[in-house]
Amino acid sequence: MDVFLSSPWIPAEWIRAHGLQPRGIWSADNYQPGAWPLSAGVCAFAEATVRFAGAQTNSAVIFSTACDQLRRGFDAAMLRGQRHSFLFNLPATWQTTAAKEIFRSELERLGQFLLAIGGREPSPEMLRQEMVQSNRARKQLIESASASTPRGFAEAVARFHWDGVFLPPPPATPGNHIPIALVGGPFLAPHWKLLDEIEALGGRAVLNATETGERSLCPPFELDAATRNPFDILVRGCCDHIVDVFQRPNTRLYSWLKPRLASRHVRGIVLWHFTGCDLWRAEAQTLRETFGLPVLLLEAGGEPGVAPRELNRLQAFVEILK
Amino acid sequence: MNLAPCKLNLDEWDDRYEQLRQNGLREPGYGGPLRRHVVRENNFRLEKLQFDNSPAALRLWNFLLTENERLYQARANGDKIVGTMKDLGTVPVMAYALPGVRAFYPDGAWWTPCLMECGDHLLQQEETMGLDVSFCPVRAMLPAFENGEHFPKPDLLVCSTGAVCDDFSAIAQRLEHLGHSILWWEMPRRRQPAAGETACALPGNLTAPKCQVDCVRTELQRVGTALGDLAGKTLDDAGLAAGIRVANQARRLLDSLRRAVYSAAAAPLPALEMLVAEMLAIHFCSDREETIAVLEDLLAEVQLRVRQNQSVINADAVRIFWVNPVADLRAMNLLEELGGRICGSDYMFTHALDLIPENLPPLEALARTALADPMVGPTASRAARIVRECQAGHAEAVVVSRIPGASHCAREGEIILEIVRQKIGIPAIELEIPPVCDAMLPTLGSRLQALIEIARARRQG
Repeated sequence: MDVFLSSPWIPAEWIRAHGLQPRGIWSADNYQPGAWPLSAGVCAFAEATVRFAGAQTNSAVIFSTACDQLRRGFDAAMLRGQRHSFLFNLPATWQTTAAKEIFRSELERLGQFLLAIGGREPSPEMLRQEMVQSNRARKQLIESASASTPRGFAEAVARFHWDGVFLPPPPATPGNHIPIALVGGPFLAPHWKLLDEIEALGGRAVLNATETGERSLCPPFELDAATRNPFDILVRGCCDHIVDVFQRPNTRLYSWLKPRLASRHVRGIVLWHFTGCDLWRAEAQTLRETFGLPVLLLEAGGEPGVAPRELNRLQAFVEILK
Repeated sequence: MNLAPCKLNLDEWDDRYEQLRQNGLREPGYGGPLRRHVVRENNFRLEKLQFDNSPAALRLWNFLLTENERLYQARANGDKIVGTMKDLGTVPVMAYALPGVRAFYPDGAWWTPCLMECGDHLLQQEETMGLDVSFCPVRAMLPAFENGEHFPKPDLLVCSTGAVCDDFSAIAQRLEHLGHSILWWEMPRRRQPAAGETACALPGNLTAPKCQVDCVRTELQRVGTALGDLAGKTLDDAGLAAGIRVANQARRLLDSLRRAVYSAAAAPLPALEMLVAEMLAIHFCSDREETIAVLEDLLAEVQLRVRQNQSVINADAVRIFWVNPVADLRAMNLLEELGGRICGSDYMFTHALDLIPENLPPLEALARTALADPMVGPTASRAARIVRECQAGHAEAVVVSRIPGASHCAREGEIILEIVRQKIGIPAIELEIPPVCDAMLPTLGSRLQALIEIARARRQG
């Protein structure tokens, strides 16, 4: 059975160890924010997740509490009778033992849910093997990040989140491009066109720090053959490496961005967010103040792909950076 | 001088105040004519409001509108000031259990643009600080911190996070980036205990798994340690238990007040004063003992009016259950002008109205109370309480008032309305009320009118 994850911070290894197939929801063919009539303020990503969950008959959807919209989207899905859904409580704090305890107990609870929908009891060895495999793929992806074509890298990360496989992304050709960072929320396949546009304009997204890009890749967890309790390592590895805007404080996000923006000589930041995403939009000014870089907000609305208005704004932004 | 209960505008209250004074009105130190809040503090919105005419209501308004003075005075007296954000009702109980500590909600600045009719330019300043009009009006808190004109800079800032509104969380994060250090504490999203999990009963007929209660208790312990460090005195169980008893005293008074007003055949106190009175529960308006005195006065007035069959609203007014606080206080007057009255409310802090259990270790009791927050659990469970209270209060209609830009409003309204319609089948609508709703009055008015007409027509059916 497929188990669709709405957040990269819910470890796919745990699902796989239960004998089920984790899928990054954003990589599913039939997952697309559409031109629906949305109530004011509803995030198209959250709505797409609710609709996607409602359309599933033989698979499960895992929502997360990373944002209010998804959290309440789960409420809407339950109201619509979707029973193969699960809400994973991702703690916002990260500096306390309470936060780790929440994460651990949520993983255990998720395990119970997976068993209830047909998963098998995972042995420590099974989990260890899944973690080793996932570690390897993430390591390869992280190492290829800065040297790959932006689109190829986005596709490779999406593939990894789809079935755990690492397919080497094509290497980028050297050139005199304006280095740009793409920072923000979920960046779906219909949006990848944006990466091509940046290239066509003379820029290059040298850092994909969206929720579905390089930022979603935890460094390999410390695991060896002697590891007796991989579950503890999974909990610690995830808790120590979640880098996202919803965390409080969200200083980890800035610590993660800082060396990468510097080493890749980024000259401008495109802040990518869905309409109604308060968490990301509120960071625009802080990003400007922290890194002293120009920041362009680009908005994913209800329509599929990137709106012409947003492309126009992007063109102007790259032109200004020239 | 005795006057039948009625509503007065500010001009009428000037005369009324003079008459009351001549008749020997005795007021607390913060008393005085309401007009001074317009003259001195530019609270121009008061000129557009209708107020209850009782001395008890006068005291309530003066108490509310002098909070900032009270906080500055407390600071001058050497008290420690705690800014507590988002949890609406829990951390203040802990803070007031310590000597020399006052807690307030900087979140309360969200009413400043309304009261000052945006003359403070807080919302405009906010845009220059990175948060535009698409965020909830609570963003007014940020410039209020920066300009220091609305409340003293707290000695300690505490904010609950996790299952909270995104906009609030984002604004608080921005505040921290601007140099205001925050102690964040985790509030997990409340859920039903799974099969085999130990369940804990929470106030408000709710339950949560023990592991969530344990988590919140641990987090509150951390907050308690910080408060104790600030006060220079450990927040022990005995002190906390005493603090809970006093908080419950206020909550009992509010419960009696709500029952008396909402269940009366004709409303003995207007919706606006009731909204303000309920707000006192969350942090005692920076003076716990005075909150109790204010509520006692209000309750006495209401009980007297009920005994004498007096009311401020016609007996045939349509009974409305109101969900969420209004960004513009004027909206509560509007409802009554159009023939409605409030018979029940969920202003987002029902957990601050419920009694804190006194038969549990105090921190455990507070953890359970915090987890009963209607905003941290499933929307369906908030809706279930609304349905229960609608039935108890014989509500004829429900209004869910949206807060502009608030992330929870994007979805919760449709869920609540759907459940209300399914379970009790009474008319229900959603309205969005901006901080100054004058330009929206025709639209708001006609929507409310339609609701009231439909509810009234159902009486005949």
